[in-house]
Amino acid sequence: MRGIQKDLLEFQAAGIRPVAISVDPPEESAKLRTTAGFTFTFLSDTRMDAIRRYDLVHRGGGPEGHDISRPAEFLIDSSGIVRWENFTEDIRVRPKADQMLAAAKNIP
Amino acid sequence: MVQTQERRSSSLLWWGLLITVLGFLSNFLYWLPIPQGVIPWINLFVPLIGLVLLALGLLRSWSGASLWLKGLGAFLGLLSAVVLTFSVWIFFRARDVPRSGGAPQVGQKVPDFTLQDSTGQPVSLSQMLANPIANSTRPKALLLVFYRGYW
Repeated sequence: MRGIQKDLLEFQAAGIRPVAISVDPPEESAKLRTTAGFTFTFLSDTRMDAIRRYDLVHRGGGPEGHDISRPAEFLIDSSGIVRWENFTEDIRVRPKADQMLAAAKNIP
Repeated sequence: MVQTQERRSSSLLWWGLLITVLGFLSNFLYWLPIPQGVIPWINLFVPLIGLVLLALGLLRSWSGASLWLKGLGAFLGLLSAVVLTFSVWIFFRARDVPRSGGAPQVGQKVPDFTLQDSTGQPVSLSQMLANPIANSTRPKALLLVFYRGYW
């Protein structure tokens, strides 16, 4: 996400709106946005509505055995269709911002 | 004769130590712009090579070596075993991720949702697709980044 923030102007110029989603409550996301300097939208899915519907629930994956979201990235076009997606097999491995920008630029 | 053998096995020990340390440091490679997919395997196999070198060094030195070399070897071997255990543990924990077979596939329409933003305001997917972004045009696409949270 730091990579997205770094290239945010480029994402916006390409017509892409990045949105981060996790189980963190709004206060927690607000804190993270301030400390890490993120200016794009952060959404809180504390009840796992979206996370469950996108089949991303990682049972017991949180530090204290909470259910959390597994890492995943989706590019969704203006009609709501998935154009690119990524599901890492290893939580340490995430797509780079330029990889996602390249995928975004492929959308007509 | 004994001395060259001792020198050889002690150099094996030092190589083992160096490679073990490199294996530990390889856990911080994720910040670098290199192909990410190979890094977990580097994290796993480099400490393994380090431990093998140390074990070889220890075995070779065991019969004729001085006490300090045996002690050093045993200590380094233990250290390297700890690093390797850590690497193996992290490797399997980091890969313990659900498969998400039911997630929306490329070409499929995603379900709409409404969630709170960091100020507590409700925001829906359709709203985010319709509302203009910085350059006052409708976005071409959304990049949804699901993350683990609890930072």
